[in-house]
Amino acid sequence: MGKIILALTIVVLVMNLVYAANVDEIVAKSNHAAYYKDRDGSARVSMTIKDSLERTRNRQFTILRKDDPGSGQNDDYCGDQKYYVYFNLPADVNKMVFMVWKHLNTDDDRWLYLPALDLVKRISAKEKRTSFVGSDFFYEDVSGRNINDDVHVLEKEDTTFFVLKNTPKNPDTVEFSYYRAWIHKETYLSIQVEYFDKQGDKYREYEALKVDTIQGNPTVIKSMMKDLRTGSSTLLEYTHVQYNIELPDEIFTERYLRRPPMKFLR
Amino acid sequence: MGKSATIFVTSYPKSITIIIGIITLILVLLAGLPSIWPDTFKMLNHLKVDTDPENMLPANEPVRIFHNEKKKEMALHDIVVVGVVNYVHPKGVFNPESLKNVYELTEYAKTLRWPDPEKQGNYAGVIEIDIIAPSTVDNIEQETPGTVSFEWLMSRLPKSQSEAEDIRNKAKKIPVLNGTLVSEEGKALCLYLPITSKDQSYRIYIKLKEKIATFHGEDEFLITGLPVANDTFGVEMFVQMAISAPLAMLIIFITLFIFFRKLALIISPLILALIATLWTMSALVITGKTIHIMSSMIPIFIMPISVLDSVHILSEFFDRYQHNRDRCQTIINVMQDLFMPMLYTSLTTAVGFASLALAPIPPVQVFGLFVAFGVLVAWILTITFIPAYVMFIPEHSLENFGRMHGKDHEDRSYFLGSIGRFSLRHARLVIIASMLLAVLAAYGITLININDNPVKWFTNKHPIRLADTILNRHFGGTYMAYLAVDSTGEQSTVTEFADLLRSKMTDHARENEAFYPGILSIFNDIESELNHLKTTVKDKDQLLSELITFANNRAGSSSPDEYPLWDEAILFLDQERQGFEIFKKPEILTWIGNLQTHLLKTEVVGKSNSLTDIVKTVYRELVSGDPSDFRVPDTAAAVGQCLITYQNSHRPQDVWHFVTPDYQKAAIWLQLKSGDNQDMSRVVDAVTRSFDNNPPPFPIKHQWFGLTYINVIWQKKMVKGMLEAFLGSFLIVFLMMTLLYRSALWGLISMIPLTLTILFIYGITGFIGKDYDMPIAVLSSLSLGLAVDYAIHFLSRTRAIAADTDSWQEMITPLFGEPARAIIKNVIVLGVGFTPLLFAPLVPYKTVGIFISSILLIAGIATLLILPSLITILERLVFPKTARLQFTCKCGTCIVSGVALVAAVIVNISQFTRFGWTTLTLVSLISILVLAGLCSFMSRRQSCANL
Repeated sequence: MGKIILALTIVVLVMNLVYAANVDEIVAKSNHAAYYKDRDGSARVSMTIKDSLERTRNRQFTILRKDDPGSGQNDDYCGDQKYYVYFNLPADVNKMVFMVWKHLNTDDDRWLYLPALDLVKRISAKEKRTSFVGSDFFYEDVSGRNINDDVHVLEKEDTTFFVLKNTPKNPDTVEFSYYRAWIHKETYLSIQVEYFDKQGDKYREYEALKVDTIQGNPTVIKSMMKDLRTGSSTLLEYTHVQYNIELPDEIFTERYLRRPPMKFLR
Repeated sequence: MGKSATIFVTSYPKSITIIIGIITLILVLLAGLPSIWPDTFKMLNHLKVDTDPENMLPANEPVRIFHNEKKKEMALHDIVVVGVVNYVHPKGVFNPESLKNVYELTEYAKTLRWPDPEKQGNYAGVIEIDIIAPSTVDNIEQETPGTVSFEWLMSRLPKSQSEAEDIRNKAKKIPVLNGTLVSEEGKALCLYLPITSKDQSYRIYIKLKEKIATFHGEDEFLITGLPVANDTFGVEMFVQMAISAPLAMLIIFITLFIFFRKLALIISPLILALIATLWTMSALVITGKTIHIMSSMIPIFIMPISVLDSVHILSEFFDRYQHNRDRCQTIINVMQDLFMPMLYTSLTTAVGFASLALAPIPPVQVFGLFVAFGVLVAWILTITFIPAYVMFIPEHSLENFGRMHGKDHEDRSYFLGSIGRFSLRHARLVIIASMLLAVLAAYGITLININDNPVKWFTNKHPIRLADTILNRHFGGTYMAYLAVDSTGEQSTVTEFADLLRSKMTDHARENEAFYPGILSIFNDIESELNHLKTTVKDKDQLLSELITFANNRAGSSSPDEYPLWDEAILFLDQERQGFEIFKKPEILTWIGNLQTHLLKTEVVGKSNSLTDIVKTVYRELVSGDPSDFRVPDTAAAVGQCLITYQNSHRPQDVWHFVTPDYQKAAIWLQLKSGDNQDMSRVVDAVTRSFDNNPPPFPIKHQWFGLTYINVIWQKKMVKGMLEAFLGSFLIVFLMMTLLYRSALWGLISMIPLTLTILFIYGITGFIGKDYDMPIAVLSSLSLGLAVDYAIHFLSRTRAIAADTDSWQEMITPLFGEPARAIIKNVIVLGVGFTPLLFAPLVPYKTVGIFISSILLIAGIATLLILPSLITILERLVFPKTARLQFTCKCGTCIVSGVALVAAVIVNISQFTRFGWTTLTLVSLISILVLAGLCSFMSRRQSCANL
């Protein structure tokens, strides 16, 4: 009996080693597929937040993204990048801008421009898992969670999906104990992600609802995040998705917060 | 009637006993089986406990419906409050060790949830996301100039004293946390654990206490909040029922033994009380009624009342047995004399309690009806079971039983007789003294303070009461009340609004044509859609959102050139839509802030929270972090941007506890330092005045919700309902007395002890400053039930003796023999019997204990002292030389009864109908006149003159 268990343990260990190489590759490709298509891009986003009483709120914004010059022509680049989010609606936050310089090795830099107060503020980026403008998405969901923050294990795979269990290396900094992601084998897009709390209950759920190939890039154009505890859900719908639009670097600076580059925002 | 019934019963004692036993068994099984195995006996009702004061009002009561709607709309829950204080450490709980305990307790509280038995797949217990604790709330602050930070207030455990104090300083800077999470003097903490439903709170309370017991250090943890109080009350109520009621029985048993010294005999009233209680409580369960704070008192009410008649029987039996030493004959004689008085005492008591069914409070109705039922059961058992039981006692064992006519006993009856002689000799003095006392009592009644507070149902030393006192000293208050403000409600019709919108659109298009060429045609498209929509939509909100959807769809399919134009048009429409977002406007937020400041002056409100506090805090931290910037920004857009920034936190849902997502309804949270209904009423008045004196800048409606407020509403209904119910039953009892004695005068006299008892009881209540609360209100029916009983026994015997005695003076001696002795024994047995209730940890039971004893004592004195004095003074009227026995021949009695009848009907009807008093007054005047005419006519007819 003991020998059988030992043999099984060895088999499992070896399997894990084989998978380990494989897992890193899956994680990297998935990260790239979600956040690093081409050198830059833009999209118009409609965000609909629906609470447990079916009351909805809508926000509309344009999102611009540009990878750092260091990316070169490297196809598996997964490094620093910049985001510029310009709000159209609701009317009272029109012209509000949120900008991020995403860093892999240090805390991100974040800015917020509030036109009604004519105020540019830096926002401390110590906490990444806070709500993005009141929705069920977190900042980290919008710009991507650092893949080095979790330990990834390939739990199973079928003909369509790799199923990864991701456990945080530093559990005190996050609210989940682990999350499980279903990664599509062809596109490497995360189609479903489930988050589990410290009591082992699922409390949060992401789902990619629609994928379209734009300029050769499979792109999620409709996705939903649900908070099972509040009963709230947020639907994101992407339109006017464009890649390789030659965004100039200077757009992603404080100066442009007050003077939005309308040319790229329409 | 009494005689034949008793002869029948004494002939078949076994059958009678077996029948009673079988009925008892069936009822107990019907109630007991489904309570023990609810799944096996699904078709039967099982025992249900309900300790929620909210249920004092019917579920469809408007204030409750509104309360529940608002709770849902604002995602508010009932809260378990856990206070943490440390009187040893100089900085209170703000030290690393204490905060570690607090953190552990918070983490533990998060796990306090379990599958909801009522809703499959849902959890019941603590709602993790809404917990307010240092590690679960966000701190917003200027981290460095120009940088704003959102962070958990206690993102990790403090390692040093200064880090611990940092947490305190941060929390104190945030108005919604200061006085709520952290105490004003900065030494105590309070955790707020929202729970899925109130009935989970006791379980959570026990679990928290277990966890707290494992902590080391000097921290004291205090758990309170209305749900915990209610749930704990429910649990202790059962303990109370299980201890107090049997203890009362035991003491009654001992007193009975001292009086009658015959174990076999005195067990009978106890068995009777037990059976009556079993029948009633089983009936309660079988009919699906819940055991409520009120209905839990049913046994305690039924026991004295059911024992009362048996004590009369026993006393008389004791006195007479030695005359002929025949148990059968003695019991038949006793029952013959007591049958009518017992029937009437039971009926009047039942009426007194049944009248509570007219009070508009469901648990009080249930209580009244079931006590009435129990009283009638007790009566049936008294005339069946007691004689049957006597038959089981072997004659030889009664050899030494009963009153010996020795010297010792003569002494005692001499004492009783002297009371009689005193009341005879000093009749005027007794009456004048009683009247003076009555006047004094009436004054006492005017001093009565109508007030209640469920937390005060616990005694001063109860942990919940202690926690409540300490926490309200440190914090803004643990009693929550909410003021809902609502800006919805049509000021203009859809068509009017559409016309206005059309002209605004035209203006806007013209102004922007230069900058956005082609925008005119875009707005033309929108206008034609507007003309189409305005006839189909239900309100302005819908009109605008449909227009925005239309524009969005068109934008999606438009050419790249047209796209920015549609964008501009959508922006315009959205601006118009946001015009309805009243609670983003700086004027209204400032106004709310002023109202909050004003309410602090009531000194009841210790703290209040609103959207205004959030907006001001965010604005301050965004601008500079300086106290000078703690204000509402100047524009609605600025407010909107502050709020969206605030929602970039861990808890974006927090805003929706203060305002609805359409910003048309808001809630102001008030923390009250006291849950007394009086204090809540004072706050309600202050708000009403504030709305009148300083009206809001936009028309808004306001309405209250929250448990503290609901308590006020049910109390108001209770006081009014009880008063009317009492008045109604008083009149009915009077009518019954008049019928019994066929004389309005006798009827009136019989009401005297009862009236005086009530006056004295409530007068004393007023003088000693005891609040008039729920148990006190209910006791009026108990007085009605008990106090009139002695009068009935006394007067019935007076009548009986009067038949063969010539003068009142001669009647005194027999009256102060057996009948008076029975009354005195009653007073002592029951008065002493209910003293165990005084040691109860729950105040309502204490109150009931004290009051039952006092009612019995006062009623006894009133009956034995005042009644004879009154009869002495009114001798000629009471014993007329020519007695007309035909009821309708007595014009006065007939008219008085008529008036009482009409009044009783009117008082009872008025609670159900919407007619105002004027209509009812008119109807009653006419009916009285008609009845008076009828009486006059009847009494003058020939047959009466002949008598």
